[in-house]
Amino acid sequence: MTPEGSLLAAEGLSKAYGPTPALDGADFSVHPGEVVAVMGPSGSGKSTLLHCLAGIVAPDRGTVRYGPHTLTGLTDAQRSALRRTDFGFVFQFGQLVPELTCLENVALPLRLNGTRRKDAERQARDWLEQLEVEGAAGQRPGEISGGQGQRVAVARALATRPRVIFADEPTGALDSLNGERVLTLLTNAARDTNAAVVLVTHEARVAAYSDREIVVRDGRVKDMAGRI
Amino acid sequence: MGMRFAAGGGREGWIRTALTAAGVALGVAVLLIGASVPTLMDAWHGREKARENLGQEHPPKAGDRTVLYSPADTTFHGERIRGRLIRPDGAHPPVPPGIRRLPGPGRMLVSPALHKLLASPEGALLRDRLHYTTAGVIGDEGLQGPQELTYVAQSDTLRERDGYRVDHFGKSWDPAPMRAPAVVLVIMTCVALMTPVMVFIGTSVRFGNERRERRLAALRLVGADVPTTRRIASGEALFGSLLGLLGGGALFLAARQLASVITLWEINVFPSDVTPALLPAALIVLLVPSAAVLVTLLAQRGITVEPLGIVRNRPPVRRRLWWRLVLPIAGVLLLFPLTREQPWHDTPLNTVRLAAGSTLLLFGVTALLPWLVDAVVGRLRGGPVPWQLAVRRLQLSSGSATRAVSGITVAVAGAIAIHMLMTGMQAGYQAAYAKSGRIPQIGFWGSAADWPQTQQALTSLRATPGVTKVRGTVIANIGRLPAAGVDTSRDVPSTVALGSCAELNRLVHVPSCRDGDVFIAAPAREAARDIGLAPGATIDLNPPRDYGERTAPRPWTIPRAARPAPSRALSDARPFAYDLLVTPAALGADRLSSPDQELRVDFDRSTPDAVEHIRNTAARINPSMFESSSIDNPHDKQYGGVRNALFLGAVITLLLIGAGLIISTVEQLHERRRLLSTLDAYGTRRATLGWSVLWQTTLPVILGLALALACGLTLGALLLVITGSGVTVDWPVVAGMAGIGAAVILFVTALSLPPLWRMMRPEGLRTE
Repeated sequence: MTPEGSLLAAEGLSKAYGPTPALDGADFSVHPGEVVAVMGPSGSGKSTLLHCLAGIVAPDRGTVRYGPHTLTGLTDAQRSALRRTDFGFVFQFGQLVPELTCLENVALPLRLNGTRRKDAERQARDWLEQLEVEGAAGQRPGEISGGQGQRVAVARALATRPRVIFADEPTGALDSLNGERVLTLLTNAARDTNAAVVLVTHEARVAAYSDREIVVRDGRVKDMAGRI
Repeated sequence: MGMRFAAGGGREGWIRTALTAAGVALGVAVLLIGASVPTLMDAWHGREKARENLGQEHPPKAGDRTVLYSPADTTFHGERIRGRLIRPDGAHPPVPPGIRRLPGPGRMLVSPALHKLLASPEGALLRDRLHYTTAGVIGDEGLQGPQELTYVAQSDTLRERDGYRVDHFGKSWDPAPMRAPAVVLVIMTCVALMTPVMVFIGTSVRFGNERRERRLAALRLVGADVPTTRRIASGEALFGSLLGLLGGGALFLAARQLASVITLWEINVFPSDVTPALLPAALIVLLVPSAAVLVTLLAQRGITVEPLGIVRNRPPVRRRLWWRLVLPIAGVLLLFPLTREQPWHDTPLNTVRLAAGSTLLLFGVTALLPWLVDAVVGRLRGGPVPWQLAVRRLQLSSGSATRAVSGITVAVAGAIAIHMLMTGMQAGYQAAYAKSGRIPQIGFWGSAADWPQTQQALTSLRATPGVTKVRGTVIANIGRLPAAGVDTSRDVPSTVALGSCAELNRLVHVPSCRDGDVFIAAPAREAARDIGLAPGATIDLNPPRDYGERTAPRPWTIPRAARPAPSRALSDARPFAYDLLVTPAALGADRLSSPDQELRVDFDRSTPDAVEHIRNTAARINPSMFESSSIDNPHDKQYGGVRNALFLGAVITLLLIGAGLIISTVEQLHERRRLLSTLDAYGTRRATLGWSVLWQTTLPVILGLALALACGLTLGALLLVITGSGVTVDWPVVAGMAGIGAAVILFVTALSLPPLWRMMRPEGLRTE
């Protein structure tokens, strides 16, 4: 059963990679504008949970509901379309297209949605400004620092004004100062747009930016606030 | 250690080793075949030398160990058949190679290919012509190639005047060296074939680079220094090269078996004759593996293997045009002056200029291509997402794509130029044959005994199916009588034609004629004027045939009643070549020196196999007669065969380059699998990335093909002008090449899609 008012909810998710179970009956929910930190040790199944929630990976068992949709019942093409329009993503590294400029990287999800290039680049420039990296617009990812790169990645995740942002260890490759700045910008921007954030991390200081924390251990989820 | 990594380096290591080995194997096989061409030609000529003896400088007297020997070549349905007639003078005649004992009277020995043809239903007409009983098969030593059609028959009717008396077989003569255009063809074919192979080797040694670099970094972490890592990388490449060397040897041995079924320019050889000379073979064995190691070391030039990973220390290179123009301009500068030196002089210096110019122009395109790709791609802006991704990728790094495409460029440019050269040369022959071949006529020459025999031959030919008109005379050379201080051997020979009034009337206008009449052709040719042909003049019926030759004069006085006769335009459009025309009663053929009968036969094309029936009749008249006709243009078949082989070679080359492109594309995708997974997470359509791969392959290939077209057409036009042929572009071939290029693009993209989609899976996002 979906918790009342939740935007995205999962129930009884199980997923195994070969003989190794990654998720074992995990439940999860997130509300609009809510930042949920998914914590747990390495190999606990945090990223797998995020991938199942985002429709990137199909769970072996269980359901994921997003608004009126049951993600687990959608085709791959339908899930891809949903990810293009409603979801945003920030990963730890290797996510920006190296041959595109930062501006083009941010405009990419918009263009994939059919926005005309000029419009997409205008919106992208606004997001870069909001994320305080407008100076990197014409540079390629290889020419900027890691912190700037993650801000560009956050700008890209926000560019389509997604309803859910999935962030997998977004500060894992950054120093603490840069990490904090990126998290501040990410969570503030999400709250401004009433987007839900699923923030996978194993760092307690990162979890401090969330409204709620859940812990994944041995493929099961424990809500630190007592909710599912 | 490198070799151990190559052998036990996991799936990627094995794939890289296998690809390197495949590239090296192809290179080695192509080079070994190329290195076998001189020995192959030597063997081919050697076999001909060993079995032939068409006349000795000092002919032996008939004896127990001599044989009368005569050529009796014929043509059947466009295929040349080498025939030799023999008549032993004694019990111990010489025997040519491949034959244990000469066939008995009325019997013949045939090559296996001719044996097969004679036994087939298609050979029915030929069986009539070669009416001898087959007594056996000629062994390989007596053949130039396994497909050769040849026979040796004993003829009781072989006369001394038809043949040569010899006491041995085997003749010492030097074959003419290859003509410069042929040398250029061989060199350009090797360049056009080898460049893609080298490109393929270069691509294959880079396969799995990422994992190898990680491994080398790990070795640095445990204490290996930079030279050690380079040695290890070289060792890895060396292992693949050595495997390739073995594979290349095996491929060469397998490929040379095909020699028996391939005939190019009428040359067909035994597989055993396709053997490289020792020195080139040793060089290939040494240099090809070294080249693979060199490519590996060059690939490492721009990187430093550090303990924590690879540092790419090569800054982005701005490609400059000026030095890239040096090679093609040097090529054009070498070739262009040759276009003004008409006619072509086949000197060693000109051959070197031609070969060097062509090679420089071909190689020049490989230097120009990276600049062209950079210059064009750098100016591209906007466009849909797949286009933008592809363009940006090429703007950032077009090196690997350009490297692979440069192979296409050289292969296509070479193929277009060679095709143009062939088409131009073929067109020249076609024009000549179209001019003379319009007239369905066939001519025969053979020694003549007397006029009645020639008359009999004319009657036989007139009775042959399909024959519409026949003319024939006995012809011989005549000259002026030798005089003191005059070397008559340097005179232009003059000709006498002997025939009935009816036959002479076909050559000149003779309003009235009876046997015994003599005519002098009017207007007189230069040769006739030189020897003073006039009524009452005495001429020599036995003039010298060679410079410096002295012959016993055979004086004959032209009757005072000889009349001038206006020459007719001959039906075969040949120049009129008769000066004195005599009837048999005026001059007997036995008084002429080496008289020949000349028979000209017109026929009806619509009669099936009319030509073969005429040849059968001619063989019955005298099998040693030579044939002259424009019926079968052998050049069409020869050039057609070579052009088809070239086209096939170009297709195989392009497929090879396609394989190289797939390797580099998949390698690039593999290096970007995390990014691809991220893009998939964003909901990027598969089609978007598929189109991006297509554009990424298409752009350099299209630019490469355009450059190839420009270079190929320029080179082809220059070569045609140099060789004095009209510039003809073989547009279907150009279109075919462009089509194959397009097919390569689609082929590469189609085969890149499955790995692309596999790498878009979310597994790429997992970091733990």
